[in-house]
This record gives sequence, structure tokens and C-alpha cells, in this order.
Amino acid sequence: MAKRIHEIRDPIHNFIRLDSGERNVLDSRPFQRLRYIHQLALTYLVYPGATHRRFEHSLGVMELAGRAYDIVTEPDNIHESISTIVPPHDSYDHQYWRRVLRMAALCHDMGHLPFSHAAEKDLLPDGWDHERLTIDIIQSCEMESIWKDLKIQPDDVAKLAVGPKKYKDATFSDWEILLSEIIVGDAFGVDRMDYLLRDSHHAGVAYGKFDYYRLIDTIRILPREYEDSTEPTLGIEEGGLHSAESMLLARYFMYMQLYFHHVRRIYDIHLKDFLKAWLSDGYLPVALDDHLQLTDNEVTAELQKAARDEKHPGHDPARRIVNREHFRLLYHRNPDDLRKNPDAAEAIFDAACNKFGRETVRYDSYEQKRSVLDFPILDNDGRIVSSQAKSVTLKNVPIVAVDYIFISPKYRKNAEDWLKQNREIIITQKEEDEL
Amino acid sequence: MKRRQRDAVLLSVIENLGAEGSWCGETHIQKATYFVQELLKVPLEFDFILYKHGPFSFDLSDEITAMRADYLLGLESRPYPYGPSIVPGESSEMIKEQFSKTLEKYKPAAKFVADKFGDKGVAELERISTALYVTLTGGVGGSVESRAQRIHELKPHVDIDKAREAVKIVDEIIKEAREVQVT
Repeated sequence: MAKRIHEIRDPIHNFIRLDSGERNVLDSRPFQRLRYIHQLALTYLVYPGATHRRFEHSLGVMELAGRAYDIVTEPDNIHESISTIVPPHDSYDHQYWRRVLRMAALCHDMGHLPFSHAAEKDLLPDGWDHERLTIDIIQSCEMESIWKDLKIQPDDVAKLAVGPKKYKDATFSDWEILLSEIIVGDAFGVDRMDYLLRDSHHAGVAYGKFDYYRLIDTIRILPREYEDSTEPTLGIEEGGLHSAESMLLARYFMYMQLYFHHVRRIYDIHLKDFLKAWLSDGYLPVALDDHLQLTDNEVTAELQKAARDEKHPGHDPARRIVNREHFRLLYHRNPDDLRKNPDAAEAIFDAACNKFGRETVRYDSYEQKRSVLDFPILDNDGRIVSSQAKSVTLKNVPIVAVDYIFISPKYRKNAEDWLKQNREIIITQKEEDEL
Repeated sequence: MKRRQRDAVLLSVIENLGAEGSWCGETHIQKATYFVQELLKVPLEFDFILYKHGPFSFDLSDEITAMRADYLLGLESRPYPYGPSIVPGESSEMIKEQFSKTLEKYKPAAKFVADKFGDKGVAELERISTALYVTLTGGVGGSVESRAQRIHELKPHVDIDKAREAVKIVDEIIKEAREVQVT
């Protein structure tokens, strides 16, 4: 007899299980493509172990989404004030949304471009991002019969996969918002839980680990009573607070140690410069068939070729990656300069471009999204309180923000001397107020 | 509007809300900014969708975080069990001074929303801002009843009487706002 439940070995979750209908999604061409998209782009050039792919991350997100769903819909865990929005435990709707959620979690990264985020910015036409491609793939003819067999609506899968922030044309019910938060939410999104654990494991950076079993076990749907509101949102029971703190600190450390390591960031910039030069119109394709045919493999092969051939478009950025001749760090954000001018890095970048030429300088900037982590906590005495009132740690988790200015190795010494002499003058010049 | 000009306007909205007694949590700032942009026509260019507690902008949420990272905003603890207030940060004066012409131009708008919303809690702000969202995005006719029904449909936890009341308040605010709208 054919197996109905399939098991996949996984270094983070041991076993990931899925049934035959779900496996058809796994076996589809768009999902299999994720075997050839690195989770962390060229990070393996800095952390050699970080060669894992979007494929296994997506499986992990599906596994955790199912676990979180089972916890928040368990009858004993449902707060009385929100009982009307959660489908009854033995109902068709309960099973329907469980399946939709797991499939949305599995497919949430299907639109990723080669080398994940590294190539996304500036390489897609206006109005496009990987989430829009994800929506298109989920709703494509290619996936239609699979959803039909699973008896789920593709639009429900698309909505939960990308959430209201990225699916602006859709109206979300409170229930759909909650389910999408289980995948992509800021506080308890399982996407983040899996990537922190997985990236930490593969890169060999221990900071990303936290007690996610405990955290998932304590997730609850709660109203923000302390704000006089009955709107439901994801929160936790008091017993999960330390796990939540630990995850949010893990995120901070992983960003600072791994995701925003300055050498990893300059490789992303060189890769983007290469793709801009190589791609015929400077953009990655958004037509589905073309998108699905392009993976890290095709880009890597062309990058190697370009590095060897001086006449190849994008030869210079390609050789910088392949021969490790990347630009060097000249300046990074620091509190002293910021207090004098919040745009100090931009001012230094402009001045460096004027002095050494635009082609020899690169600027990279990132500021964390949504950091006021104010979620409800169900206190042991039955009160619902703000996480910010309950946790000194959460209040003090630093915001991730980086500004890096890189200079061609050829000008490094000159540029460092120039910056030493001119830094104060540059950062005290400010933008005019023009109405 | 350039980014730091926009930050200066946000600082002004937050200061005015605080002066009128608002808790100034993120929800308060979100809803006040929605009115400043969509009703009073201050060109802040945030993208609002219907989400938590009514109209919500992820861009604005990100900008608040970025302003905290740049010392333009800070958090102030409030008594248990409440969440924190968002307050001007140590570098806020510098930006206000730098963009004093911008602030002068949009001062009436910042004062208007602070006057209307400074004393409102999250639940009331949710109802009123959702009422404005339903009124501006249309599609349900202009009557009080049809808009109230739509609010209840979008936010089932808002009962129909409260939704009706919110629509009437919004109609009143729209009338008064004509005096301070940016042209």
C-alpha cells in the first residue's frame, strides 16, 4: 500500500511530515526550484557552512506553522473573548484553515529571486517584489490542479503566505490576519523562528538559538485589553516570556553578527552590480516561466565566466567576488556622528563620491522594520498586559541599524586619511529646508 | 516631501498629541497621521491599508522604528499594564530647527488632529479612523447606515451602534477640517 504520510529528515526539526496531497506541492516545479536558491545568498563566502537553501527553510516553516496552529486553536487555550472567531475544533473549517496555513507556509518563499534578497532591491521593475511573484505562482495555472485536489482556494493560500502588508489588493478578516501573523508576523512569525534556528545551525553562529518549543507552546490569541480593545492578536502566556525575549535577542545578534556582516553586504552589492550589467534590460524577469528558469546555478555559472573575460558585461564586479577583491569598509554608522547629524553616513558617502569618483565608492544602509514589540501577555493572574510593561528586556532590545561605506581597495589608504581629516566638516553640513 | 522633512512633521504631530494628553502609543500616532495625510492633505506619502485597529501604515511603523534608531524618537514607560509612549528623542530638536519652515506650514494640521484625538483611547480611535477609511474609499454609498454596516462588516468586534456614532463624528470632523486642509 502506498504511504499516505511522508517523512523528511531535517537538521532542525528532526522529522517533517506531510501527506500525499501536500507532497504534490512539494514536487511541483516552482517548489523544487527552491533547491537551487541559497537561503543566505553569498554568505557562504564569509561563513562557509551557510550553503543551505530556501527549500529546507520552507519545509521548516510549514512544520512550525502547523504546530502553532494546533496550539492556538486547542480549546483549552482559547480566551473567552475571542472564541467566536476561531473555528470549532472538530469542524471542517478548522481542518480547512490548517491545511491552507501549512501550504501557505510551504509556499511563502516561492517567488524568491536568485540569491534571495541579495538581488531583489533595484533588480525588479517598479511595483514588483518577491512576494508579488509568490502570489502569481500560487495563483498560476501550473498550481491550479494541485490546489483543487487539496480542496483549498489558491487566493486563501496567497493571502496567508504574504500577509496584508504585501497583498494590498485583498481584504483580510481578523482570522486571516491572525493566521498570516503565524507565518510572517513580527513577534511570533514562524518564518523568523525557522530562519534564525536554521541560519544559526548552518553558519555555525550560536546566537540564533532559543527555546522555540516553549515559545510555540505558549502562543495564544488574545485581545489587547490593556488598550481597551477587543481586537484579537497573537500574544503569549506569561510562561513563554523568557523564550520570546530570547528569540528577539537572537534576532538582534543574528542581524549584527551574520546578516549584516559588512563583507557579506559588499558581496551582495557586487552581485547586484554584476546582474545589472549582465541582464539585458538591467532587470530580472517577472514573467513566470522566465522567473522559474533562473536560479543561483545559472547566475553562478555566468559570474565565473564574467570574472575570466574582461569583455563580459559585469566583469569588474564579477572578478571582485570570484577573486575576493571586494571593496573595503571605509566608514560605519556610530552614535556620536548620528547625534550630530542623523544623515552623517549619507553626507560622507556624497563627499567620498565627489573626492574619489562614484564608481569607487558604495553605500549600504538598513534600518530595522517595526520594532515596538508590544504584544499581549496573559498574566498568571488572568490579566492581559503589555509585553513592554512586563519585560525590561524587550524594552531594551537595541534596534538593528547599519550604514556602511565601502571604497575600492585601490583607494583605501588615501580614503582613510582623507576621512580622518575631513570627517567633522562633512557631517556638520546639513540639508536645507526647501518647501 | 523629503524624509527628514516628513520626520519633522511626525515629531510635531507626536508633540501636539502629547500636549493634549494623548498616551501616544503607536496606534495613536498611526491614526492621527492617517487623518493628517488623508483628510488634511499633508503630503507624507505613507501607504495605509485596513489592518489592526483600522487604517494602518507599515511604512509609518518602519519610519517610527528608524527614527528611534536615529535618536529622533524614544520610548517612555507607562504604569503597569500599559504599553510604552513614543516621545521625541534626544536629537529631535535638531531636526525641528532644521525644518522650521516646514513645521510652520503644517502646524495647523498637527494642532487640529491633536485637538480631535488627544483625549481618545485606542478603541475609539479605531472606530473613528475606520469610519474615515470607509467614507474616503467609498463603495458603500454615503449614508450613515451603509457606512456603519460596512465598519461592522470589516471589524465585527465594533457593534453597529458604536459604528453609527463613529460615522457621525467623522462627518463632523470632515466639515471642520476644511478650514485647515493643505492646498
